[in-house]
Amino acid sequence: MNPSANAPQGVRAAGPEETETPRVSARVGLLADRDFVEVRFCGSGGQGLLLMGLILAVAANHDHRCVVQTESYGPEARGGHSRSDVIISDTAIDYPTLDSADLLVALSQEAADGYTRSLRREGILMYDSGKVTNPPSFPGMTIGVPFTRLATEETGRPQTTNVLTLGAVVGITGVVSVESLTKAVMEAVPAGTTEVNARALARGLALDYAEWMVDSC
Amino acid sequence: MELWHSHLLREKIDQSSLLVQGNRACALGALDAGVRFFAGYPITPSSEIMEAMAYELPRVGGVFVQMEDEIASICACIGASLSGWLGMTATSGPGFSLMQEAIGYAIMVEAPLVIVDVMREGPSTGRVSAPSQGDVMQARWGTHGDHPAIVLAASNVADMYRLTMAAVRFAQRFRTPVTLLADEVVGHMRESFSPELVGRYRLTSGDFDFTPGYVHPDLAREVHPPHILGSEAHPHVTGCTHDETGFPTNDAKKSERFLHELYDKVTNHRDELCLYDVKNEGKGRVCVVAYGSCARSARAAWRLAELEGLPVEVLHLYTLFPLPIEVIQTVARRVEFMLIPELNLGQYAREVRKLAENWTTVISMGKIDGTLITPREILDQVTRLIGKYESV
Repeated sequence: MNPSANAPQGVRAAGPEETETPRVSARVGLLADRDFVEVRFCGSGGQGLLLMGLILAVAANHDHRCVVQTESYGPEARGGHSRSDVIISDTAIDYPTLDSADLLVALSQEAADGYTRSLRREGILMYDSGKVTNPPSFPGMTIGVPFTRLATEETGRPQTTNVLTLGAVVGITGVVSVESLTKAVMEAVPAGTTEVNARALARGLALDYAEWMVDSC
Repeated sequence: MELWHSHLLREKIDQSSLLVQGNRACALGALDAGVRFFAGYPITPSSEIMEAMAYELPRVGGVFVQMEDEIASICACIGASLSGWLGMTATSGPGFSLMQEAIGYAIMVEAPLVIVDVMREGPSTGRVSAPSQGDVMQARWGTHGDHPAIVLAASNVADMYRLTMAAVRFAQRFRTPVTLLADEVVGHMRESFSPELVGRYRLTSGDFDFTPGYVHPDLAREVHPPHILGSEAHPHVTGCTHDETGFPTNDAKKSERFLHELYDKVTNHRDELCLYDVKNEGKGRVCVVAYGSCARSARAAWRLAELEGLPVEVLHLYTLFPLPIEVIQTVARRVEFMLIPELNLGQYAREVRKLAENWTTVISMGKIDGTLITPREILDQVTRLIGKYESV
């Protein structure tokens, strides 16, 4: 094990291993060049939002970046609010919770209404256009995709919506590398669902965001 | 170290780079420190500690019991500790309230325990997944009577690991309950965590001795030798004020001496117990005194302050009680203001004020809306304080 490659920035141990640089996969997309990105996933309980945050965080960790993931949810097993925040940075992260999001992914009307104000003006809003029928007004880039419908069409299982959405998020923004995301998804999904999740992920990654852009208000 | 690779703790991670949840790191620290008994009752936001212990303990020859409530949980831990094990439990505010009576008993019978309280917002049920630091004074004075308390506060995932180890060490050395406070954010968050980094803080197995009846030689005069249940002798264990035989006493001198000894064994060892860290030492006009997740906000505020040229230092406390009197007074002598951001209405600020008000102005900055104090809020307050001073 190479002790220096994975230590958070700023605490690298000196040693002979120092010369070996970690291999980091390329990132391509709207947020790929940022050294500090804040992402918020929100919706209702049962949609797999906490797992989305966890997978994105694991993927960022695979990219050898510093990451903090936090979550908030109500007492209900299904329904109620659910939210997962991921902060990805090239340097150590002090403040652990989200300040203002660069990317907000909303999978329910209530979440879109409630959390759009946590988004920076120059941030990106993505929502499930099948669930958010009355999109909130947001001046920045807005992308509405019927994630749940696409996932059901692609795999026959609405449960794969979260993986398809993650594919779309990474395909469009490049917050993590596709390689790390794929690895993280495959580590996270239950046995026997690898194939359907791979299909959902591929469909998400292939989305062309120009097709789903919503006119800013 | 195979535990890193076990299913629950590994949590879908790369072998060399870990993304670990705070609660899981706490369980890992306990297992590494040799804790082999855990009794608990699940409660958000601490449940993952119990979940991990339930999975891991049977695999390392330990005992895990899910009890019917928190009162039974802590009593089972006391029983384990009196039998030569070290009992550990984890809970949140509502469960911590139920445990208070038994914590007093554990202090009185000198049973080493580790209690983890992952704090949530509000009294009673409150808000289950909102962070708070509202249990600070409960951790100090929750049980009745004059008693010692060792209270630690974790601010990140690595802290959850190493402070759990420290809690085990302190509990075992001083034969008293140790409370580790975390809040919902620290308990639930997952963070990049390198085992090598944590390796620096790892205590070696030589630091722990779980032999029944063990008392550390340094403390032989201060800590009373424990009575071991199930041993050859016929022990008597009581919550009544007792003498060295373990039987109750009504003798004023004996009971005064006993209670003093209980208190002094902790407060006389502040130099060993008080863990802290100072950033920008000696260069600030304002010192932000913080613990738990607020310490992270304070550090971020200090970095912003550097950019804006504001003279700020940060005193990060890992040990809240026994009060780090010397540490706080040393800083108080050199700064103009002490600012204490915390997720309650100034519980610890009152303690700091008592110690520091002769030398400096102590300002409490409390917040109880279930969100963290942001670095910007701290910095705005610092700017106001310095600005006010300039205008005078």
